[in-house]
Amino acid sequence: MGYAMARFHFPGKSVIKSLMDLPIAFPELVLGLCLLLLFGQTPVGKAMEEAGIRVVFTKLGIVVAQIFTALPYAARILYSTFESVNPRYELVSRSLGYGEFESFKNVTIPLARNGLFASTVITFARSMGAFGAVLILAGGSYMNTKTLPITLYLNISYGNIGVAITSGIVLVVLAFLAILVFEKVEGGL
Amino acid sequence: MILEIENLCVDLGEFKLNGVSLKADRGDYIVIIGPTGSGKSIVLETVAGFYKPIRGKIRLEGRDITFLPIEKRNVSIVYQDRALFPHMSVFENIAYGLKKKERNSSIVREEVRKIAKILGISHLLHRKPDTLSGGEQQRVAIARALVVKPKLLLMDEPFSALDVKTRENLRKLVKKAVKKYDTTVLHVTHDFEDVFSLANEVAVMKDGEIVQTGRPEEIFSRPLNDFVADFVDGD
Repeated sequence: MGYAMARFHFPGKSVIKSLMDLPIAFPELVLGLCLLLLFGQTPVGKAMEEAGIRVVFTKLGIVVAQIFTALPYAARILYSTFESVNPRYELVSRSLGYGEFESFKNVTIPLARNGLFASTVITFARSMGAFGAVLILAGGSYMNTKTLPITLYLNISYGNIGVAITSGIVLVVLAFLAILVFEKVEGGL
Repeated sequence: MILEIENLCVDLGEFKLNGVSLKADRGDYIVIIGPTGSGKSIVLETVAGFYKPIRGKIRLEGRDITFLPIEKRNVSIVYQDRALFPHMSVFENIAYGLKKKERNSSIVREEVRKIAKILGISHLLHRKPDTLSGGEQQRVAIARALVVKPKLLLMDEPFSALDVKTRENLRKLVKKAVKKYDTTVLHVTHDFEDVFSLANEVAVMKDGEIVQTGRPEEIFSRPLNDFVADFVDGD
């Protein structure tokens, strides 16, 4: 998506770009509610359920909610990354006999590797921290769809401050490690 | 006739090419001159396949390549900014296009060494492009374009960003290399020195049209109209 937005010009591009960014501006709870309605009440949700794909209150719901929460960030970073790679490299590669995909693989991807890695780290960190959307779509049920932020929230509600703090520390450590790895790899690239 | 451009029209919205026609024989070195914004680079990039014309034909060795994908044309391009792949060494840059055509790595190595020797960059093969001077980078870009033995070499102001001495050296090297590889060249420039040193044919462009073609001495001594006269006189 990021590549297509950076490289191609087409009617309605700015509308699609705004739609892609929309979940960033949405409160997570509203995003969760939209997803709950989409996968629960609409023909899309009913058709998926008939096909045996259950999203609401399942582990798949966690993944879907995390994707919708984190994807706009990834798309935005990838868009900036691919836009910063001069399209001339691909054109020169093609003039030397390589097709579009080969030129993308041989030239654009290696030149975009920092951005690709950054978007992976940011997406991972954002997914780890996703709370509202995951809680509403997946339910946060014990030993089934409870993620770390939900564990933290529920334990505060129960008064288990120790477990809540531990969950918080694990989240902070994971975020720190993600950024550390990113800094290390970026420095080595 | 190796290249025939016939009534080429390209519409880029804010700019149009209006019926550009040009012919080149094998081994011709055609230099296109004209003021900034006259469409010189658009002609090159349309021949390379980067833009689709709305009318007209481009034939290379008699074959219609007007709508052929870029990679199937066997036309190389060299830009002013070189566009060397920064993540590859000089050797890898030069060998890049060759590897697509030639599986035998010893032949690839041999061909890279040959062109590197002609262009005086044998000692740079292990280096990364960003450690080279502008002149060295341009020699690498020319080597990368020539080593695949293109039917047509397109050069878009290749010497513009270089100092006078480096330009002079490069002109000599390019002349030698194109002759050795028996390549036909379309070269866009603002520098009349390129015309005098390299061209056997010149095309003058204005507002998306070719207003005069001819041998360099013809263009400079017998301009067809006031625009050409002013342009070749005003540099």
